[in-house]
Amino acid sequence: MLPIVIADDSLLARKLLTKALPPDWDVDVSYATNGREALALYREGKASVMFLDLTMPDMTGYDVLEALRHEELNSFVIVVSADVQPLARARVRELGAIAFIAKPVTPEALLPILKEYGLYA
Amino acid sequence: MPEPAFTEDQRDALQEIANLAMGQAATRLARLLESFIELSVPRVRVVDVSDAARTLREMTGIDETVSAVRQGFRSDIKGEALVICRSDSIAQLCALVSDPYSRSSYEAIGERELMLDVANLLASACVSSILDQLGRTPVFSAPGVLGEALTLDDVFQPGMLQWRKALLVEVNFALETTSFRAHLVMLMAEESIHHMNEALDALLSSL
Repeated sequence: MLPIVIADDSLLARKLLTKALPPDWDVDVSYATNGREALALYREGKASVMFLDLTMPDMTGYDVLEALRHEELNSFVIVVSADVQPLARARVRELGAIAFIAKPVTPEALLPILKEYGLYA
Repeated sequence: MPEPAFTEDQRDALQEIANLAMGQAATRLARLLESFIELSVPRVRVVDVSDAARTLREMTGIDETVSAVRQGFRSDIKGEALVICRSDSIAQLCALVSDPYSRSSYEAIGERELMLDVANLLASACVSSILDQLGRTPVFSAPGVLGEALTLDDVFQPGMLQWRKALLVEVNFALETTSFRAHLVMLMAEESIHHMNEALDALLSSL
């Protein structure tokens, strides 16, 4: 099973994202409600893939990306955000995220990214 | 009718819904102004109407006079959308838009029209998106300028809202590299708060 982390301070957002995952994707999902928890889960090896919200208390998504850059960044980080301005997209790609998905996340938006990186067949 | 209130899950859901709506509105504003918009964390509160001005002052940090535009929306969830900016910041907005506003020979009319356009864009995009996520399609009244040099107490005159309690949702949009910031405030009365509670519960239980 692929360990993945869903990091978002909103319960609704965590639920909506979980619902958008491929139903037959063989994953072990851990949840983080702030950036610090997300980073801790990464360090425990629970984040081969991390879905990361940008606006969170106690370390934002940007902070998490910065911190990951100083570690090995052994994770595919997909930023999930309501801020869909082109500049916001460019900033997170610069920080090492593999993709940027606009909220609300749809399976149609998610699938091509998972396939491109060989995370889901 | 019980005292209007939100559970923690309902408040969280409305905040996330507002966050998403704000993102969509910001994209449209960014396109209009060709600027990057910094987003805020949406704030959701149930307040005494008599306390609305004080709450807004605390949320926005605005002590100066403001320009305010008001637009009503109706569905079973209904209320008022207000767009508020510091009076002295409108000129910064105008400076960004070279065409067609600044070519107007009537500068005052240009500022007023731009403020109305921005307010209408933010209010309709945000309110539509929030209610759409809750399965509602609102009808809007025409936006109207409340005033261009008002205090927040003027904006929330006791007579304006014939309610006791109001649900207040605030999001704001800051233009990067300027000090311009527009605050969008949605106000909804008791009855709408109950419909909002039901709509949020329905959404949460569908997941």
